[in-house]
Amino acid sequence: MSVKIVTDTLSDLTDDLVKEWGLTVVPLYVRFGKQMYRDRVDITSEDFYRRLVNEPVLPSTTQPTPNDFSEVYNKLAQETDEILVVVVSSKLSGTYQSAAQARDYLKGKCRVEIVDSHTVALAEGLIVIAAAKAIKAGAGLKEVAQMARQAVSRSHLIAYFDTLKYLAKGGRIGKAQGLLGSVLSVKPILTVKDGEMAPLTRVRSMNAGLDYLYNTVAGYKNIEGLAVEHATTPIDADNLVERLGAIYPKERIYRSVISPVIGTYAGPNALALSILEAETP
Amino acid sequence: MSKISVIAGQELRDMFSAATSWLEKSSADIDALNVFPVPDGDTGTNMMLTMRSTMEEAYRAPDHSAAGVAHAMAKGALMGARGNSGVILSQIWRGLAQGLEEKEAFNAAELAEALEKSAQTAYKGVSNPVEGTMLTVIHDAARAARAQVEEGNDDIVLVLEAVVDAAGESVANTPRLLKVLKDAGVVDAGGQGIYTLFEGALRYLKGETEQMRLRKPQMIVSELPYTAPLPQVSGIDEVPYGYCTEFLLKGDLLEPEEIRKRLEKKGESLIVVGDDSAVRIHIHTLNPGNIISVASKLGTLHQVSIRNMDEQHQDFLEMQKEKMPITDTAVIAVAAGDGLKEVFGSLGAAAVVPGGQTMNPSTKDILQTVEATSSENIIILPNNKNIIATANQVQSLTQKKIKVVPTRTIPQGVVALLAFDYEADFKANAEIMEKALVSVKTIEITRSVRATQINGLKIRRKQPIGLLDGELIAVGDTDLEVVDQLLSRLDLDEAEVVTIYYGAEVEKADSEEISASITSQYPKLQVEVIRGGQPHYSYIISVE
Repeated sequence: MSVKIVTDTLSDLTDDLVKEWGLTVVPLYVRFGKQMYRDRVDITSEDFYRRLVNEPVLPSTTQPTPNDFSEVYNKLAQETDEILVVVVSSKLSGTYQSAAQARDYLKGKCRVEIVDSHTVALAEGLIVIAAAKAIKAGAGLKEVAQMARQAVSRSHLIAYFDTLKYLAKGGRIGKAQGLLGSVLSVKPILTVKDGEMAPLTRVRSMNAGLDYLYNTVAGYKNIEGLAVEHATTPIDADNLVERLGAIYPKERIYRSVISPVIGTYAGPNALALSILEAETP
Repeated sequence: MSKISVIAGQELRDMFSAATSWLEKSSADIDALNVFPVPDGDTGTNMMLTMRSTMEEAYRAPDHSAAGVAHAMAKGALMGARGNSGVILSQIWRGLAQGLEEKEAFNAAELAEALEKSAQTAYKGVSNPVEGTMLTVIHDAARAARAQVEEGNDDIVLVLEAVVDAAGESVANTPRLLKVLKDAGVVDAGGQGIYTLFEGALRYLKGETEQMRLRKPQMIVSELPYTAPLPQVSGIDEVPYGYCTEFLLKGDLLEPEEIRKRLEKKGESLIVVGDDSAVRIHIHTLNPGNIISVASKLGTLHQVSIRNMDEQHQDFLEMQKEKMPITDTAVIAVAAGDGLKEVFGSLGAAAVVPGGQTMNPSTKDILQTVEATSSENIIILPNNKNIIATANQVQSLTQKKIKVVPTRTIPQGVVALLAFDYEADFKANAEIMEKALVSVKTIEITRSVRATQINGLKIRRKQPIGLLDGELIAVGDTDLEVVDQLLSRLDLDEAEVVTIYYGAEVEKADSEEISASITSQYPKLQVEVIRGGQPHYSYIISVE
């Protein structure tokens, strides 16, 4: 019985990747007014961003309930006795808490290890994929959990935001607050540091932002995984992948869309770049 | 959802009991909102503890009518009030109790009236009511309830929904009303507490107790952006804040109004609330002994608390630092004009030294600012070719580490500051910032001070002249004409953003005319107009 992996929708893994690695994904929730949707399940990113821009009320988000996780655990427990759960940074969402609480409702014998990814989006997803690869290579729960926790410090998220408006309204601005309030219109470049949003720098246009993202990748020597995501501008993201092809095999770059729950804070036109550094021997 | 038209005592108690648990969940977050010199360092905790005492008394009350419960709540709040926010909260319950006097139960209209009473009573307890605090929030909330009732709404759930919405908006608006909040980039903590209490009560009425167990109250975010306050360069002596002194005075035939008058001149932020048997007093004073000795002659003192606010202020300064990105490097810019000063400040410059063309700051001016800045590593942006050498002198006069990024114009200074990388170290940042300078072209428009011939141009006195990256290469009859000439010299295919900083002597409308002209000629460019307020130069234009 090999270890099964559970993650949340904020890891932004595509359906293909979920299928390929046999993952189980627990959705968070996004709510417009009284309507509640399961992230990536009941609402597509396209629909979501259209409504985000057009509707007068901003959406809000909610973590999965402990019950959402316990149902998944109990289902998986029928085929395995070891589950690895990789979740979004506990400083950005209460998902970790729900995942941990759900262990109390576990029927039968099954060990569940929960890893706080300290990040979000495909930076979280790349840790999941790395863990899935380790399991495929025969790692047990203890080993793969240790490996995943160790991968946390190698996983970097660099995001271009068109605006900080959504992040500020959603109350998750963290240290990026220092970038608010510019008299000039500027586009923030952010990262996740110690589990929360933190500023990197600012640019004045998306092209300058794309340059920054490209140069960031160029600055890394050993890259194990690379991913590019868009919110509403697939062509810009595709162009970035093309460009990155000069320094990293293009076909190995993961491409995805920023999930609605993350989009609630990132807003339209955001781009996310995730880098998993290779282990240094 | 079913309509609720009447609420009796028991339900009043249960809804605020649920609201208290709800508040408890965010009390730490509310504590974090605190801004000095708001008296208490822990508004969330204080409100939560006040509410606990409020509800304990409510459950002890023998009388289960709405009036009985409200009265017990008022009593519990007064006895257990902590901090400034707790005292004002106790006034709110006192007002509510007065509004519900003799009522077995209450309907929407009676709730609206009681809330208005709450707001009035809350204002009355404070000697100098300040807007942008929980007073404003309860006032706005009560007004929303009144508006609903006047529209003929008799569903208490809907009325309370309007109250919660209004309270939320009011909280978000507090930084506009109170400068200390704006400077700290937070909303009023007490106001947030009021919002959370009403929200909790509403959720209870809607039957959302299960969700309340799993969720946390939402913290309202300031509508105004946070800008780091620029440090005072001139050494103003700090005024001591003194001691936050509070206690409960018990006795017979106490006269709160008299007590207030006697204490009024003895300190700041005085609050006196209560009745003839118990009065709660809160004051900021340099001499707490004096207050205590006056009060002890009137009755017995209970729950005495005296806290040193200068210590709290230090803690506050530490907390402020935590909110900013952690970097070991500070940037100091030289600029003239309040608009430009704000541009640099809002982009994170630690200080702006006044100066520029024809008013170059001295090495001493820059040195003083360097010494006044808390960081040990300092990057200076001279923003003028005549100030670079002055800035370079600073290194030999200070123990601090100095790097001068040789910015020759304001736009160069701005792109350098923008490029600042929060994760890079001091040396790397100086390099990154210097590298960024090539990405900008600077156009400056000014008036010729005398007739002359230069670079093949014949220039009359007072004629508009244009410089491109410091070189005088255009002259014309109007500013617009000179701007056009200079833009035509640039390769604008690669450019994306044009920023026009207009000077102190230019009207906004004129600068917009230039902006419109650029947009019509080069529709792909994004043009931004900013008031620079700089002297001498009618326009400084950056092309990135």
